[in-house]
Amino acid sequence: MTAANRCAIVGIGQTHHKAKRQDVSIPGLIREAALRALADAELTWKDIDAVVIGKAPDMFEGVMMPELFLADALGAAGKPILRVHTAGSVGGSTAICAAHLIMGGIHRRVLTVAFEKQSESDAMWALSPRIPFQPQLTAGAGGYFAPLVRAYMRRSGAPDDVGLQVAVKDRQHGLKNPYAHLRIKGIDRAMVADSPMLWDPIRYLETCPSSDGACAMVLAAEDAAAAPRPPAWVHGLATRSEPVVFSGRDQVNPQAGRDCARDIYAQAGIHTPSKDLDVAELYVPFSWFEPMWLENLGFAAEGEGWKVTASGATALGGALPINPSGGVLCSNPIGASGMLRFAEAAMQVRDQAGEHQVDGARRAMGHAYGGGSQFFAMWIVGRDRP
Amino acid sequence: MDVLSAPYVLEYTYQRSTGPVIGRFLTALRDGRLEGVRTTTGRVLMPPLEYDPATGEATGEPVPLPPDGVVTTWAWVATPRPGHPLDRPFAWALIRIDGADTAMLHAVDAGAADAMRTGMRVTARWRAERTGSILDLACFVPVAGEAP
Repeated sequence: MTAANRCAIVGIGQTHHKAKRQDVSIPGLIREAALRALADAELTWKDIDAVVIGKAPDMFEGVMMPELFLADALGAAGKPILRVHTAGSVGGSTAICAAHLIMGGIHRRVLTVAFEKQSESDAMWALSPRIPFQPQLTAGAGGYFAPLVRAYMRRSGAPDDVGLQVAVKDRQHGLKNPYAHLRIKGIDRAMVADSPMLWDPIRYLETCPSSDGACAMVLAAEDAAAAPRPPAWVHGLATRSEPVVFSGRDQVNPQAGRDCARDIYAQAGIHTPSKDLDVAELYVPFSWFEPMWLENLGFAAEGEGWKVTASGATALGGALPINPSGGVLCSNPIGASGMLRFAEAAMQVRDQAGEHQVDGARRAMGHAYGGGSQFFAMWIVGRDRP
Repeated sequence: MDVLSAPYVLEYTYQRSTGPVIGRFLTALRDGRLEGVRTTTGRVLMPPLEYDPATGEATGEPVPLPPDGVVTTWAWVATPRPGHPLDRPFAWALIRIDGADTAMLHAVDAGAADAMRTGMRVTARWRAERTGSILDLACFVPVAGEAP
Protein backbone atom coordinates (compact mmCIF):
# COMPACT_ATOMS: atom_id res chain seq x y z
CA MET A 1 0.00 0.00 0.00
CA THR A 2 1.02 3.57 -0.42
CA ALA A 3 1.65 5.62 2.69
CA ALA A 4 -1.96 5.92 3.79
CA ASN A 5 -3.63 5.08 7.08
CA ARG A 6 -4.88 1.51 7.41
CA CYS A 7 -8.58 0.78 6.96
CA ALA A 8 -10.44 -2.06 8.67
CA ILE A 9 -13.88 -3.51 7.91
CA VAL A 10 -15.44 -3.99 11.36
CA GLY A 11 -19.12 -4.46 10.53
CA ILE A 12 -20.98 -6.09 7.64
CA GLY A 13 -24.73 -6.36 7.04
CA GLN A 14 -27.13 -7.19 4.25
CA THR A 15 -30.83 -7.84 3.69
CA HIS A 16 -32.35 -11.12 2.63
CA HIS A 17 -32.56 -10.33 -1.07
CA LYS A 18 -35.96 -10.92 -2.64
CA ALA A 19 -37.98 -10.14 -5.76
CA LYS A 20 -40.29 -7.82 -3.79
CA ARG A 21 -39.96 -6.22 -0.39
CA GLN A 22 -43.28 -4.43 -0.34
CA ASP A 23 -43.39 -4.65 3.46
CA VAL A 24 -40.75 -1.91 3.78
CA SER A 25 -40.11 1.53 2.34
CA ILE A 26 -36.82 2.26 0.58
CA PRO A 27 -35.48 3.83 3.81
CA GLY A 28 -36.67 0.76 5.72
CA LEU A 29 -34.82 -1.55 3.32
CA ILE A 30 -31.42 0.12 3.62
CA ARG A 31 -31.95 0.52 7.33
CA GLU A 32 -32.10 -3.28 7.72
CA ALA A 33 -28.64 -3.67 6.18
CA ALA A 34 -27.20 -0.70 8.10
CA LEU A 35 -28.50 -1.97 11.46
CA ARG A 36 -27.01 -5.42 10.78
CA ALA A 37 -23.62 -3.83 10.01
CA LEU A 38 -23.79 -1.74 13.20
CA ALA A 39 -24.81 -4.81 15.22
CA ASP A 40 -21.93 -6.82 13.74
CA ALA A 41 -19.55 -4.06 14.85
CA GLU A 42 -21.39 -3.59 18.17
CA LEU A 43 -21.68 0.12 17.43
CA THR A 44 -24.58 2.59 17.38
CA TRP A 45 -25.47 5.50 15.12
CA LYS A 46 -23.64 7.85 17.50
CA ASP A 47 -20.33 6.11 16.79
CA ILE A 48 -20.50 6.89 13.06
CA ASP A 49 -18.69 9.99 11.75
CA ALA A 50 -19.93 10.03 8.15
CA VAL A 51 -22.13 8.13 5.71
CA VAL A 52 -21.30 7.28 2.08
CA ILE A 53 -24.22 5.97 0.03
CA GLY A 54 -24.47 4.52 -3.47
CA LYS A 55 -27.25 3.41 -5.78
CA ALA A 56 -27.63 2.64 -9.46
CA PRO A 57 -28.65 5.29 -12.03
CA ASP A 58 -31.35 7.73 -10.88
CA MET A 59 -33.87 6.72 -13.53
CA PHE A 60 -34.01 3.15 -12.25
CA GLU A 61 -36.16 4.19 -9.29
CA GLY A 62 -36.84 7.83 -9.99
CA VAL A 63 -34.92 8.89 -6.86
CA MET A 64 -32.64 11.73 -7.87
CA MET A 65 -31.17 12.60 -4.48
CA PRO A 66 -31.06 9.50 -2.25
CA GLU A 67 -28.61 11.25 0.07
CA LEU A 68 -31.31 13.84 0.85
CA PHE A 69 -34.19 11.38 1.04
CA LEU A 70 -32.32 8.84 3.21
CA ALA A 71 -30.30 10.97 5.62
CA ASP A 72 -32.60 10.47 8.61
CA ALA A 73 -32.90 6.72 8.04
CA LEU A 74 -29.10 6.53 8.08
CA GLY A 75 -28.64 8.57 11.25
CA ALA A 76 -26.81 11.20 9.21
CA ALA A 77 -28.38 14.35 10.69
CA GLY A 78 -25.53 16.72 11.49
CA LYS A 79 -22.95 14.48 9.81
CA PRO A 80 -21.38 14.43 6.36
CA ILE A 81 -23.29 12.28 3.84
CA LEU A 82 -21.94 11.73 0.34
CA ARG A 83 -23.49 9.96 -2.62
CA VAL A 84 -21.43 8.00 -5.18
CA HIS A 85 -22.60 7.17 -8.68
CA THR A 86 -20.81 4.83 -11.12
CA ALA A 87 -23.59 2.70 -12.68
CA GLY A 88 -23.44 -1.02 -11.77
CA SER A 89 -20.01 -0.72 -10.16
CA VAL A 90 -21.37 1.82 -7.68
CA GLY A 91 -21.52 -0.54 -4.71
CA GLY A 92 -17.79 -1.09 -5.05
CA SER A 93 -16.78 2.50 -5.70
CA THR A 94 -19.01 3.63 -2.79
CA ALA A 95 -17.08 1.38 -0.40
CA ILE A 96 -13.82 2.69 -1.87
CA CYS A 97 -14.84 6.34 -1.29
CA ALA A 98 -15.72 5.42 2.30
CA ALA A 99 -12.34 3.70 2.72
CA HIS A 100 -10.60 6.79 1.32
CA LEU A 101 -12.16 8.89 4.10
CA ILE A 102 -10.56 6.53 6.62
CA MET A 103 -7.23 6.17 4.81
CA GLY A 104 -6.94 9.91 4.32
CA GLY A 105 -7.31 10.42 8.06
CA ILE A 106 -10.55 12.41 7.70
CA HIS A 107 -12.84 10.14 9.74
CA ARG A 108 -12.45 7.26 12.19
CA ARG A 109 -15.67 5.36 11.46
CA VAL A 110 -17.65 5.54 8.25
CA LEU A 111 -20.91 3.76 7.42
CA THR A 112 -21.18 2.85 3.75
CA VAL A 113 -24.47 1.65 2.27
CA ALA A 114 -25.76 0.68 -1.16
CA PHE A 115 -29.19 -0.48 -2.28
CA GLU A 116 -31.66 -1.08 -5.04
CA LYS A 117 -35.38 -1.75 -4.90
CA GLN A 118 -35.93 -3.18 -8.34
CA SER A 119 -39.59 -4.02 -7.63
CA GLU A 120 -40.33 -0.27 -7.50
CA SER A 121 -38.36 0.53 -10.63
CA ASP A 122 -37.61 -0.73 -14.12
CA ALA A 123 -33.98 -1.02 -15.19
CA MET A 124 -34.91 -2.15 -18.70
CA TRP A 125 -36.97 1.00 -19.25
CA ALA A 126 -34.31 3.21 -17.68
CA LEU A 127 -31.64 1.79 -19.98
CA SER A 128 -33.76 2.31 -23.09
CA PRO A 129 -34.57 6.04 -23.39
CA ARG A 130 -35.90 7.13 -26.76
CA ILE A 131 -33.48 9.98 -27.35
CA PRO A 132 -34.22 12.06 -30.47
CA PHE A 133 -31.87 11.53 -33.42
CA GLN A 134 -30.34 8.41 -31.85
CA PRO A 135 -31.23 4.76 -32.38
CA GLN A 136 -33.09 3.42 -29.36
CA LEU A 137 -31.50 0.60 -27.38
CA THR A 138 -34.43 -1.49 -26.17
CA ALA A 139 -32.39 -4.54 -25.26
CA GLY A 140 -31.45 -3.77 -21.65
CA ALA A 141 -28.19 -5.00 -20.19
CA GLY A 142 -28.51 -8.53 -21.59
CA GLY A 143 -28.90 -7.29 -25.13
CA TYR A 144 -25.90 -5.05 -24.70
CA PHE A 145 -23.62 -7.74 -23.31
CA ALA A 146 -24.69 -10.74 -25.44
CA PRO A 147 -22.54 -9.71 -28.45
CA LEU A 148 -19.53 -9.36 -26.13
CA VAL A 149 -20.09 -12.91 -24.88
CA ARG A 150 -20.37 -14.12 -28.48
CA ALA A 151 -17.13 -12.31 -29.34
CA TYR A 152 -15.42 -13.95 -26.36
CA MET A 153 -16.58 -17.40 -27.46
CA ARG A 154 -15.29 -16.84 -30.97
CA ARG A 155 -11.95 -15.44 -29.84
CA SER A 156 -11.22 -18.05 -27.21
CA GLY A 157 -12.72 -21.06 -28.97
CA ALA A 158 -14.58 -21.89 -25.76
CA PRO A 159 -17.16 -24.68 -26.04
CA ASP A 160 -20.80 -23.61 -25.85
CA ASP A 161 -21.50 -25.11 -22.44
CA VAL A 162 -19.10 -23.13 -20.20
CA GLY A 163 -21.84 -20.63 -19.42
CA LEU A 164 -24.16 -23.44 -18.29
CA GLN A 165 -21.50 -24.62 -15.89
CA VAL A 166 -21.13 -21.18 -14.27
CA ALA A 167 -24.91 -20.80 -13.98
CA VAL A 168 -25.18 -24.13 -12.14
CA LYS A 169 -22.12 -23.55 -9.95
CA ASP A 170 -23.14 -20.09 -8.72
CA ARG A 171 -26.71 -21.28 -7.99
CA GLN A 172 -25.30 -24.22 -6.03
CA HIS A 173 -23.24 -21.73 -4.04
CA GLY A 174 -26.35 -19.60 -3.53
CA LEU A 175 -28.12 -22.53 -1.88
CA LYS A 176 -25.52 -22.24 0.89
CA ASN A 177 -26.16 -18.51 1.39
CA PRO A 178 -29.21 -17.67 3.54
CA TYR A 179 -29.31 -14.11 2.09
CA ALA A 180 -29.41 -15.20 -1.58
CA HIS A 181 -32.51 -14.30 -3.61
CA LEU A 182 -32.50 -17.19 -6.12
CA ARG A 183 -32.41 -20.54 -4.36
CA ILE A 184 -33.06 -23.13 -7.05
CA LYS A 185 -33.15 -26.58 -5.49
CA GLY A 186 -31.86 -29.32 -7.79
CA ILE A 187 -30.31 -26.82 -10.22
CA ASP A 188 -28.46 -28.67 -12.99
CA ARG A 189 -27.18 -28.25 -16.52
CA ALA A 190 -30.35 -29.55 -18.14
CA MET A 191 -32.46 -27.03 -16.25
CA VAL A 192 -30.26 -24.17 -17.44
CA ALA A 193 -29.93 -25.51 -20.99
CA ASP A 194 -33.71 -25.91 -21.29
CA SER A 195 -34.45 -22.39 -20.06
CA PRO A 196 -35.51 -19.89 -22.76
CA MET A 197 -32.83 -18.16 -24.84
CA LEU A 198 -33.20 -14.46 -23.96
CA TRP A 199 -30.31 -12.81 -25.78
CA ASP A 200 -28.39 -15.44 -27.75
CA PRO A 201 -26.13 -16.94 -26.35
CA ILE A 202 -27.50 -15.93 -22.91
CA ARG A 203 -30.32 -18.11 -21.55
CA TYR A 204 -32.82 -17.14 -18.88
CA LEU A 205 -31.02 -19.13 -16.17
CA GLU A 206 -27.65 -17.68 -17.23
CA THR A 207 -28.97 -14.26 -16.22
CA CYS A 208 -29.10 -12.44 -12.89
CA PRO A 209 -32.47 -11.85 -11.21
CA SER A 210 -34.05 -8.48 -10.34
CA SER A 211 -33.80 -8.08 -6.59
CA ASP A 212 -34.74 -5.78 -3.75
CA GLY A 213 -31.87 -5.54 -1.31
CA ALA A 214 -29.19 -3.53 0.44
CA CYS A 215 -25.70 -3.96 1.82
CA ALA A 216 -23.78 -1.97 4.43
CA MET A 217 -20.35 -1.94 6.00
CA VAL A 218 -18.72 -0.06 8.85
CA LEU A 219 -15.14 0.91 8.00
CA ALA A 220 -12.78 2.03 10.74
CA ALA A 221 -9.36 3.56 11.22
CA GLU A 222 -6.74 1.45 12.95
CA ASP A 223 -7.28 3.09 16.34
CA ALA A 224 -11.01 2.38 16.09
CA ALA A 225 -10.69 -1.16 14.76
CA ALA A 226 -10.87 -2.95 18.10
CA ALA A 227 -14.01 -4.83 17.14
CA PRO A 228 -15.78 -7.68 18.90
CA ARG A 229 -14.86 -9.87 15.93
CA PRO A 230 -11.56 -9.73 14.02
CA PRO A 231 -11.75 -7.12 11.27
CA ALA A 232 -10.84 -7.51 7.62
CA TRP A 233 -8.07 -5.16 6.48
CA VAL A 234 -7.92 -3.33 3.16
CA HIS A 235 -4.75 -4.39 1.33
CA GLY A 236 -5.44 -2.61 -1.93
CA LEU A 237 -8.26 -0.70 -3.63
CA ALA A 238 -8.76 1.14 -6.91
CA THR A 239 -11.27 2.33 -9.47
CA ARG A 240 -10.78 2.86 -13.21
CA SER A 241 -13.04 3.98 -16.02
CA GLU A 242 -13.00 4.34 -19.79
CA PRO A 243 -15.43 5.72 -22.37
CA VAL A 244 -18.20 3.38 -23.52
CA VAL A 245 -17.29 3.84 -27.18
CA PHE A 246 -14.03 4.62 -28.86
CA SER A 247 -12.29 3.30 -31.92
CA GLY A 248 -10.29 0.20 -31.13
CA ARG A 249 -11.88 -0.34 -27.73
CA ASP A 250 -11.68 -3.93 -26.49
CA GLN A 251 -15.03 -4.36 -24.78
CA VAL A 252 -14.46 -8.07 -24.11
CA ASN A 253 -11.25 -7.46 -22.18
CA PRO A 254 -11.36 -3.75 -21.26
CA GLN A 255 -8.15 -1.88 -20.56
CA ALA A 256 -9.68 -0.17 -17.51
CA GLY A 257 -10.34 -3.55 -15.86
CA ARG A 258 -6.80 -4.76 -16.52
CA ASP A 259 -5.31 -1.52 -15.19
CA CYS A 260 -7.50 -1.53 -12.08
CA ALA A 261 -6.47 -5.12 -11.24
CA ARG A 262 -2.80 -4.39 -11.81
CA ASP A 263 -3.06 -1.41 -9.46
CA ILE A 264 -4.57 -3.35 -6.55
CA TYR A 265 -2.15 -6.27 -7.02
CA ALA A 266 0.78 -3.83 -6.80
CA GLN A 267 -0.68 -2.26 -3.64
CA ALA A 268 -1.23 -5.66 -2.02
CA GLY A 269 2.07 -7.20 -3.18
CA ILE A 270 0.33 -9.85 -5.25
CA HIS A 271 2.37 -11.41 -8.06
CA THR A 272 0.24 -14.40 -9.11
CA PRO A 273 -3.40 -13.65 -8.30
CA SER A 274 -4.56 -17.25 -8.86
CA LYS A 275 -2.12 -18.42 -6.18
CA ASP A 276 -1.86 -15.40 -3.88
CA LEU A 277 -5.62 -14.93 -3.46
CA ASP A 278 -7.72 -17.57 -1.71
CA VAL A 279 -11.11 -16.54 -3.08
CA ALA A 280 -12.67 -13.86 -5.30
CA GLU A 281 -16.15 -12.39 -5.63
CA LEU A 282 -16.49 -11.16 -9.19
CA TYR A 283 -19.39 -9.22 -10.67
CA VAL A 284 -20.87 -11.88 -12.97
CA PRO A 285 -24.42 -10.87 -13.99
CA PHE A 286 -24.35 -13.20 -17.03
CA SER A 287 -22.67 -16.59 -16.66
CA TRP A 288 -20.03 -16.10 -19.37
CA PHE A 289 -18.56 -13.13 -17.55
CA GLU A 290 -16.78 -15.49 -15.16
CA PRO A 291 -14.25 -16.75 -17.74
CA MET A 292 -14.10 -13.28 -19.31
CA TRP A 293 -13.18 -11.63 -16.00
CA LEU A 294 -10.76 -14.44 -15.08
CA GLU A 295 -8.74 -13.27 -18.07
CA ASN A 296 -9.29 -9.54 -17.59
CA LEU A 297 -8.13 -9.79 -13.97
CA GLY A 298 -5.09 -11.94 -14.68
CA PHE A 299 -6.35 -15.15 -13.04
CA ALA A 300 -5.88 -16.83 -16.43
CA ALA A 301 -3.99 -16.01 -19.61
CA GLU A 302 -5.99 -14.50 -22.45
CA GLY A 303 -8.09 -17.23 -24.09
CA GLU A 304 -7.63 -19.58 -21.13
CA GLY A 305 -10.30 -18.37 -18.69
CA TRP A 306 -12.90 -20.86 -19.85
CA LYS A 307 -10.46 -23.73 -19.20
CA VAL A 308 -10.15 -22.68 -15.55
CA THR A 309 -13.95 -22.60 -15.24
CA ALA A 310 -14.36 -25.91 -17.09
CA SER A 311 -11.82 -27.58 -14.78
CA GLY A 312 -14.11 -26.99 -11.80
CA ALA A 313 -11.43 -24.91 -10.04
CA THR A 314 -13.85 -22.01 -9.48
CA ALA A 315 -16.35 -24.04 -7.43
CA LEU A 316 -16.25 -24.14 -3.63
CA GLY A 317 -13.61 -26.74 -2.77
CA GLY A 318 -11.69 -25.94 -5.97
CA ALA A 319 -8.30 -24.25 -6.21
CA LEU A 320 -9.75 -20.81 -6.92
CA PRO A 321 -13.31 -20.46 -5.61
CA ILE A 322 -15.19 -17.69 -7.43
CA ASN A 323 -18.43 -16.27 -6.02
CA PRO A 324 -18.97 -18.52 -2.99
CA SER A 325 -21.96 -16.30 -2.08
CA GLY A 326 -23.72 -17.27 -5.30
CA GLY A 327 -22.82 -13.90 -6.75
CA VAL A 328 -24.88 -11.56 -8.89
CA LEU A 329 -26.44 -14.60 -10.60
CA CYS A 330 -28.28 -15.30 -7.32
CA SER A 331 -28.95 -11.77 -6.00
CA ASN A 332 -29.01 -8.53 -7.95
CA PRO A 333 -30.16 -5.40 -6.15
CA ILE A 334 -28.11 -3.49 -8.74
CA GLY A 335 -26.81 -0.58 -6.67
CA ALA A 336 -25.85 -2.97 -3.87
CA SER A 337 -24.46 -5.75 -6.08
CA GLY A 338 -20.93 -4.35 -6.15
CA MET A 339 -20.88 -3.77 -2.40
CA LEU A 340 -22.12 -7.32 -1.82
CA ARG A 341 -19.02 -8.56 -3.69
CA PHE A 342 -16.79 -6.38 -1.52
CA ALA A 343 -18.63 -7.46 1.64
CA GLU A 344 -18.43 -11.17 0.78
CA ALA A 345 -14.65 -10.84 0.30
CA ALA A 346 -14.41 -9.29 3.77
CA MET A 347 -16.72 -11.94 5.27
CA GLN A 348 -14.48 -14.65 3.84
CA VAL A 349 -11.29 -13.35 5.47
CA ARG A 350 -13.20 -12.79 8.73
CA ASP A 351 -14.27 -16.46 8.65
CA GLN A 352 -17.87 -15.20 8.74
CA ALA A 353 -19.35 -16.84 5.64
CA GLY A 354 -20.98 -19.87 7.23
CA GLU A 355 -21.77 -22.68 4.81
CA HIS A 356 -20.13 -20.85 1.91
CA GLN A 357 -16.90 -20.20 3.78
CA VAL A 358 -13.66 -20.99 1.92
CA ASP A 359 -11.56 -22.80 4.52
CA GLY A 360 -8.64 -20.75 5.73
CA ALA A 361 -9.25 -17.78 3.42
CA ARG A 362 -6.65 -15.15 4.26
CA ARG A 363 -6.82 -12.84 1.23
CA ALA A 364 -9.83 -12.18 -0.97
CA MET A 365 -10.80 -9.94 -3.86
CA GLY A 366 -14.05 -8.05 -4.34
CA HIS A 367 -14.81 -6.81 -7.87
CA ALA A 368 -17.53 -4.72 -9.50
CA TYR A 369 -18.10 -3.38 -12.98
CA GLY A 370 -20.71 -1.15 -14.51
CA GLY A 371 -21.96 0.79 -17.52
CA GLY A 372 -20.88 -0.76 -20.82
CA SER A 373 -18.01 -2.66 -19.09
CA GLN A 374 -16.44 0.76 -18.50
CA PHE A 375 -16.42 1.41 -14.73
CA PHE A 376 -14.36 -0.85 -12.47
CA ALA A 377 -13.97 -0.95 -8.70
CA MET A 378 -11.91 -3.56 -6.86
CA TRP A 379 -10.43 -4.23 -3.50
CA ILE A 380 -8.29 -6.85 -1.84
CA VAL A 381 -8.91 -7.54 1.82
CA GLY A 382 -6.96 -9.72 4.20
CA ARG A 383 -7.09 -11.32 7.58
CA ASP A 384 -3.71 -9.82 8.47
CA ARG A 385 -2.93 -6.17 9.04
CA PRO A 386 -1.14 -4.98 5.88
CA MET B 1 -28.44 24.59 -42.69
CA ASP B 2 -31.21 23.60 -40.26
CA VAL B 3 -30.29 22.98 -36.66
CA LEU B 4 -32.82 20.32 -35.71
CA SER B 5 -34.47 19.87 -32.38
CA ALA B 6 -37.14 17.47 -31.19
CA PRO B 7 -39.08 16.89 -27.98
CA TYR B 8 -37.66 14.30 -25.61
CA VAL B 9 -40.38 12.85 -23.39
CA LEU B 10 -39.25 10.73 -20.49
CA GLU B 11 -42.06 9.19 -18.49
CA TYR B 12 -42.44 6.16 -16.28
CA THR B 13 -44.88 5.13 -13.56
CA TYR B 14 -42.79 4.05 -10.59
CA GLN B 15 -44.04 2.15 -7.54
CA ARG B 16 -43.57 3.13 -3.92
CA SER B 17 -44.14 1.12 -0.75
CA THR B 18 -44.91 3.23 2.29
CA GLY B 19 -43.46 0.95 4.96
CA PRO B 20 -45.19 0.25 8.28
CA VAL B 21 -45.02 3.73 9.90
CA ILE B 22 -46.12 5.98 7.03
CA GLY B 23 -48.52 3.25 5.89
CA ARG B 24 -50.22 3.30 9.26
CA PHE B 25 -50.50 7.12 9.20
CA LEU B 26 -52.10 7.07 5.74
CA THR B 27 -54.48 4.27 6.73
CA ALA B 28 -55.60 6.36 9.73
CA LEU B 29 -56.22 9.35 7.43
CA ARG B 30 -58.40 7.12 5.26
CA ASP B 31 -60.38 6.25 8.39
CA GLY B 32 -60.71 9.97 9.26
CA ARG B 33 -58.27 9.85 12.20
CA LEU B 34 -54.96 11.52 13.01
CA GLU B 35 -52.19 9.34 14.37
CA GLY B 36 -48.69 10.45 15.32
CA VAL B 37 -45.74 8.40 16.48
CA ARG B 38 -43.63 8.52 19.67
CA THR B 39 -39.82 8.68 19.48
CA THR B 40 -37.50 6.90 21.90
CA THR B 41 -36.97 10.24 23.65
CA GLY B 42 -40.72 10.64 24.20
CA ARG B 43 -41.45 13.27 21.57
CA VAL B 44 -44.60 12.84 19.48
CA LEU B 45 -44.05 13.44 15.74
CA MET B 46 -47.03 14.51 13.64
CA PRO B 47 -46.92 13.70 10.81
CA PRO B 48 -44.96 10.57 11.74
CA LEU B 49 -41.47 9.67 10.52
CA GLU B 50 -39.96 6.18 10.39
CA TYR B 51 -36.74 7.40 11.97
CA ASP B 52 -36.08 10.16 14.48
CA PRO B 53 -33.87 12.73 12.74
CA ALA B 54 -32.50 13.81 16.12
CA THR B 55 -31.14 10.40 17.16
CA GLY B 56 -31.35 8.13 14.12
CA GLU B 57 -33.39 5.65 16.17
CA ALA B 58 -36.52 4.00 14.81
CA THR B 59 -39.70 5.64 16.08
CA GLY B 60 -41.97 3.60 18.32
CA GLU B 61 -45.62 3.34 19.26
CA PRO B 62 -48.40 5.07 17.33
CA VAL B 63 -50.18 7.85 19.24
CA PRO B 64 -53.86 8.60 18.48
CA LEU B 65 -54.36 12.37 18.28
CA PRO B 66 -57.42 14.65 18.16
CA PRO B 67 -58.30 16.55 14.98
CA ASP B 68 -57.57 19.87 16.73
CA GLY B 69 -54.46 21.99 16.98
CA VAL B 70 -52.91 25.43 17.03
CA VAL B 71 -51.46 27.54 14.20
CA THR B 72 -47.78 28.24 14.86
CA THR B 73 -47.17 30.32 11.72
CA TRP B 74 -49.00 31.07 8.48
CA ALA B 75 -48.91 32.80 5.08
CA TRP B 76 -51.99 34.12 3.26
CA VAL B 77 -52.71 33.04 -0.31
CA ALA B 78 -54.88 35.83 -1.75
CA THR B 79 -55.08 34.33 -5.25
CA PRO B 80 -55.29 30.53 -5.25
CA ARG B 81 -53.86 28.79 -8.28
CA PRO B 82 -54.86 25.53 -9.97
CA GLY B 83 -53.59 22.67 -7.86
CA HIS B 84 -53.99 24.49 -4.57
CA PRO B 85 -56.16 22.65 -2.02
CA LEU B 86 -58.85 25.38 -1.98
CA ASP B 87 -60.38 27.46 -4.78
CA ARG B 88 -60.81 30.55 -2.57
CA PRO B 89 -58.29 32.62 -0.58
CA PHE B 90 -56.76 30.55 2.24
CA ALA B 91 -53.72 30.32 4.52
CA TRP B 92 -50.83 27.89 4.34
CA ALA B 93 -50.13 27.19 7.99
CA LEU B 94 -47.97 25.12 10.27
CA ILE B 95 -50.37 23.42 12.67
CA ARG B 96 -49.29 21.71 15.87
CA ILE B 97 -51.89 19.08 16.66
CA ASP B 98 -52.79 18.84 20.36
CA GLY B 99 -50.49 16.26 21.96
CA ALA B 100 -47.81 16.53 19.26
CA ASP B 101 -44.38 18.14 19.55
CA THR B 102 -44.00 18.99 15.87
CA ALA B 103 -46.12 21.00 13.46
CA MET B 104 -47.50 19.91 10.07
CA LEU B 105 -48.13 21.96 6.96
CA HIS B 106 -51.72 22.27 5.77
CA ALA B 107 -54.30 24.74 4.49
CA VAL B 108 -56.61 26.80 6.73
CA ASP B 109 -59.96 27.92 5.30
CA ALA B 110 -60.42 31.15 7.29
CA GLY B 111 -62.24 33.30 4.73
CA ALA B 112 -60.05 36.37 5.09
CA ALA B 113 -56.49 37.15 6.14
CA ASP B 114 -57.65 39.18 9.14
CA ALA B 115 -59.31 36.04 10.49
CA MET B 116 -55.86 34.44 10.82
CA ARG B 117 -53.45 34.78 13.71
CA THR B 118 -50.59 32.77 15.17
CA GLY B 119 -51.86 30.85 18.16
CA MET B 120 -55.41 30.44 16.84
CA ARG B 121 -57.10 27.08 17.30
CA VAL B 122 -58.17 25.06 14.27
CA THR B 123 -59.85 21.74 13.63
CA ALA B 124 -59.71 19.31 10.72
CA ARG B 125 -62.29 19.20 7.97
CA TRP B 126 -62.29 15.74 6.37
CA ARG B 127 -63.05 14.90 2.79
CA ALA B 128 -66.11 12.63 2.45
CA GLU B 129 -64.29 10.24 0.07
CA ARG B 130 -60.90 9.28 1.44
CA THR B 131 -58.12 7.29 -0.22
CA GLY B 132 -55.19 7.24 2.22
CA SER B 133 -53.57 10.57 1.33
CA ILE B 134 -52.69 13.80 3.14
CA LEU B 135 -55.44 15.34 0.98
CA ASP B 136 -58.00 13.23 2.86
CA LEU B 137 -57.71 16.20 5.18
CA ALA B 138 -59.54 18.77 3.03
CA CYS B 139 -58.17 21.58 5.19
CA PHE B 140 -58.33 22.97 8.73
CA VAL B 141 -60.92 25.53 9.82
CA PRO B 142 -60.96 27.99 12.72
CA VAL B 143 -62.65 26.68 15.86
CA ALA B 144 -65.92 28.53 16.42
CA GLY B 145 -65.61 31.40 18.87
CA GLU B 146 -61.95 32.00 17.98
CA ALA B 147 -61.85 35.75 17.53
CA PRO B 148 -58.78 37.15 15.83
